[in-house]
Amino acid sequence: MTDPIRTEIMKHRLVSVAEEMGARLQRAAFSPNIKERCDFSCAVFDASGNLVAQAAHIPVHLGAMPLSVQACLESLSFAPGDVAIVNDPYRGGTHLPDITVVSPIFVEEESKPFLLGFVANRAHHADIGGMSAGSMPLSQEIFQEGLIIPPVKLMAGGKKNDDVWRLLMANVRTPEERSGDLQAQLAANHIGIARMQGMGARFGFQSLAADMDALLQYSERMTGRLIGQLPNGCYRFEDALDNDGFSPGPAVIRVSITIEGEHVTVDFSGTDRQRPGSINAVYPVTLSAVAYVFRCVLGLDIPANSGCLRPIHIIAPEGTLVNASRPAAVAAGNVETSQRIVDVLLGTLAQACPNRIPAASQGTMNNLTIGGWDQRNGRPFAYYETIGGGMGAGPHTDGASGRHSHMTNTLNTPVEALEYAYPFRIAQYALREGSGGKGQHQGGDGLIRTYQFLQPAEIVLLSDRRITKPYGLGGGEPGDPGRNTIKQSGAEKEVPGKCSLAVKAGDELIIETPGGGGYKKF
Amino acid sequence: MAIPDNHQHGSWIGIDIGGTFTDFVVYASHSQSLQRFKILSTPSNPAEAVLEGLLQLPHQVSRHIVHGSTVATNAILERKGARTALITTKGFRDVLLIGRQDRPELYDLFPSIPPPLVPCEWTFEITERLDYEGNIVTPLNEIELDAIIEELKAQKIQSVAVSFLFSFVNPAHERWVTNRLRAEGFFVTASSEILPEFREYERTSTTVVNAYVSPVLDAYLGQLEREMASTEFHILQSNGGRLSVTQARGHGVRSILSGPAGGVVGARYLAGLAGFNRILTFDMGGTSTDVSLVHGDIHVTSEAEVGGCPIRVPVVDIHTVGSGGGSLATVDAGGNLRVGPQSAGANPGPVSYGRGGCIPTVTDAHVVLGRLPTDGFLGGKMALDRDAANRALDELSDHISLPTASGLESRHCLALGMIQIANAHMERALRVISVERGEDPREAVLVSFGGAGGLHACDLARSLAIPHVFIPPMAATLSALGMLAADVQLDYVHTVMLPNDTPFEMLEQQTKAMVKQSEEDLHREGVSPEQAVIIRTVDVRYIGQAFDLNVPLMPQFREEFDRVHQERYGYCQEDAPIEIVNVRVRAIGRVTPPSILKVPLGAADATAARGEERPVVVSQGIQGVPHYWGDRLRPGHEISGPAILVLDDTTVYIGPADHARIDSYLNILIQVGASND
Repeated sequence: MTDPIRTEIMKHRLVSVAEEMGARLQRAAFSPNIKERCDFSCAVFDASGNLVAQAAHIPVHLGAMPLSVQACLESLSFAPGDVAIVNDPYRGGTHLPDITVVSPIFVEEESKPFLLGFVANRAHHADIGGMSAGSMPLSQEIFQEGLIIPPVKLMAGGKKNDDVWRLLMANVRTPEERSGDLQAQLAANHIGIARMQGMGARFGFQSLAADMDALLQYSERMTGRLIGQLPNGCYRFEDALDNDGFSPGPAVIRVSITIEGEHVTVDFSGTDRQRPGSINAVYPVTLSAVAYVFRCVLGLDIPANSGCLRPIHIIAPEGTLVNASRPAAVAAGNVETSQRIVDVLLGTLAQACPNRIPAASQGTMNNLTIGGWDQRNGRPFAYYETIGGGMGAGPHTDGASGRHSHMTNTLNTPVEALEYAYPFRIAQYALREGSGGKGQHQGGDGLIRTYQFLQPAEIVLLSDRRITKPYGLGGGEPGDPGRNTIKQSGAEKEVPGKCSLAVKAGDELIIETPGGGGYKKF
Repeated sequence: MAIPDNHQHGSWIGIDIGGTFTDFVVYASHSQSLQRFKILSTPSNPAEAVLEGLLQLPHQVSRHIVHGSTVATNAILERKGARTALITTKGFRDVLLIGRQDRPELYDLFPSIPPPLVPCEWTFEITERLDYEGNIVTPLNEIELDAIIEELKAQKIQSVAVSFLFSFVNPAHERWVTNRLRAEGFFVTASSEILPEFREYERTSTTVVNAYVSPVLDAYLGQLEREMASTEFHILQSNGGRLSVTQARGHGVRSILSGPAGGVVGARYLAGLAGFNRILTFDMGGTSTDVSLVHGDIHVTSEAEVGGCPIRVPVVDIHTVGSGGGSLATVDAGGNLRVGPQSAGANPGPVSYGRGGCIPTVTDAHVVLGRLPTDGFLGGKMALDRDAANRALDELSDHISLPTASGLESRHCLALGMIQIANAHMERALRVISVERGEDPREAVLVSFGGAGGLHACDLARSLAIPHVFIPPMAATLSALGMLAADVQLDYVHTVMLPNDTPFEMLEQQTKAMVKQSEEDLHREGVSPEQAVIIRTVDVRYIGQAFDLNVPLMPQFREEFDRVHQERYGYCQEDAPIEIVNVRVRAIGRVTPPSILKVPLGAADATAARGEERPVVVSQGIQGVPHYWGDRLRPGHEISGPAILVLDDTTVYIGPADHARIDSYLNILIQVGASND
């Protein structure tokens, strides 16, 4: 049994390290994606690569970060002053724009170096090369999506590894911005290491290591007890993505959840095989979605760590949508399929504990990338954003309108910030009235966002729930699906959920995002 | 005309309206004397308590009142402001509803999002559009305003917010609409007047907040003025500066959160007198703890939020955590001991208050440890029930497996643990306000002035390696004193978004209008030019960055920006192009604060203040610890820990390794030992 007072105190101390790293990263970063939209996560790990404490940033990074650290541990040997970088989705990453930077925390004990653990942070970069500006392309294999970085050292012995740095910068569209963001990621780890070393010096390194272990045990115990409050049984559900942008037909995710005492088995057997388009989720994405769902449903009010996942057993067959094999394209797996995995898991659990589960939220992030050559300053630009939609209604509440749900919570870019920086204009940004599913409690409304292009540009859309609808619960109606429309020389035309387009000055793109599902028959 | 000076004009009265008490600090300039007292607050109409308190004072020819008011803040929290409408650019009527499209809690499947201050049916769009350079893309459709005005009248709208895209670059459209509405008799807030700064959601929210609270504040001030003729009223603003009522009434947003700001101003003043200019303020109350940073100047932020509404005016940077004397101790599903954020509040309060509370609180832990004397609470006015506290902790310790320590009972171990956990919460808050702002807490003094703070301050300072704790003698009314020490202070901002090669002279040119405005406003406050200080700064960032750093406007501002960036974030890019986002002007009229009597230091021997020894749990054992009575402490007295200091408004625990000294202003200055033992 762990010390219930000391563990509680160390819980606060360790999560405050992760939070301080986050504050540093956000303040120092370059791109709006990290600074304004907070699309990043910071965490502390023990010497075996177990996640000990993570600041509450982005759910999609929840379960996936430890796998990046473990991939680095497997392929590299660390010395003081080293920093590893990785984005390979098949080695602990999620999709290529998410770059993770991992630093070992070495301390001196009795004049010998002692590996106390790691700090790491992951940030979504606005571009990592590949076939489309913004690196969220309509791809059919991962090589089109950008530069793949296996675990390599960005810093060695406290010195910048210039070869790696130059190779990186030569492969991206906006190297100054990448360089600034990476510097900020290094600065975040730097402060994390210093904090952990300070704590080690104060409390003793061995006992700090023991504290980290106690925190993992505590989290495991708490998760188990809360699972124990759910009714035993086996529950099933399925839902689908519209398509993958290339081959026709829905992509179905099937799951069964078995609750047995303080343990859960989540089995994705029966889920469709991986597809040519990029809707394939690598295992870390699936793991994050599972971690997110149980965190919400159990009301787990402790910092996320690896202990929380120990009572949960996941079966995800290889080569499927939820555990893709190389070289499947994965860009949308992280942002779109992750949302559908959540929908499926919640739909399953709604049978076990209906009072805790809302109807489906918009179930997409509406990823939009706009790239091109800015004639105003003669520089290339790559802009990426995601758009909120309706949230599902609950047993006692209406769904919120115009919000990001589940696996993301990134901020929008202010219209006034965006128009300074990029050659297009926002003509409308409003709620899409009536799009939420009807019911005793209404689903939240989606959003309408209209872009007016002032110069030619290349657009990539990765969006879903344009055909399938966010489900209602208890007889509530589903939310309206989303719709993407292009206006060119006066003619209006609906375009698919996943597509790339070339636009001219004067063209307009209208994105209408899905509404949330309703709850109970009206 | 000279600056209104505490020394020259009759009596000065600082009033802080709190939830329970309204505090008064009265400074009579002729006798240089300070008087303080409390009146029970009257939340339904705060003016009643103010007027009642003023009646207790001798009538004087000349009275000046500076007060912090919760009127504006409460109007937002309770959604009881004016009937307010909003007019936006066509296509953007939902700007308040959408906000930044994020949800407040990541892991809450049923987020509750506070409704906007203006309901949908009172939000109107008008056809007009500017681009980012202020060029007209779509001309203003003036006709549309007629129908809107009709509807505003039909709906009996009192106050209108006008916020158009890019109005900070070119305010022409906003100005036209504003003038029309004012001519129709509406109270109007234009975004380009209140906050000419980019980011439409935050600017609109600030504009709406001002529109929503100003009429309420105006009515409140009107009542005070009617009933107290020949009294001059000033308001403490959220930036920690004071402002006359005449200028304050149209700018209600500036007085939001002014109450806590008063405490910081007071702490800065008293610590400054004693020679400390880097301080961390620590205000621990019953349900929450406020912390802030002063490094010469009070740290302000433009990122405040009240009741779900962002406000982008400068606000004293106060960080609050839900940890206080009333925080409840419980055991969670994983078996950990939790303290807070649930609180016993004022009612029923801690178990030892004997008002029906049964879950142990942090205050009860101190009672159990003997650190909070049962007979000295609130100056002895309220007896505490130690037996009840003991029983509550015994009950809880049956549900938790505690490590044992020799010589201590399990309730003592539990009590020590509760305090450590509460400290861990507050330590985190102090780190946010210092380390995350690039300040080293080890170079600061911890100034404790909350009722519950004295029992935690030394341990907390020890955890953060802060060498000294400072406890002012007027802790409970520090905020009201702060009102009297506040300078006149006005802040102005304008987004310019200028490129890398902008010459310094051009930036100077950009500040001209604001400087002129600030000089006029200072003049209206009675500040003479020689007493005015005008500070010009610029917000700069590397192109591509989304946040900026504020640096003084000087010829080498670029180098200064690189330097500050390096200092704050650990790197800079001297070759990267920058952009100048905002120019800012701060205008200050220095006020001579009330003088505080300085007493020569006497002997170090504090025997005269020493009461009996009582058993107290000191980290790992129980021992007899002397109690000292605050009213008998004299300048020069020195006390080595362990000791308990019983003051009127707080109790101070001095650990075995700590050493306290009373300075010539009756402040308690504690040198904090490195270890607990």
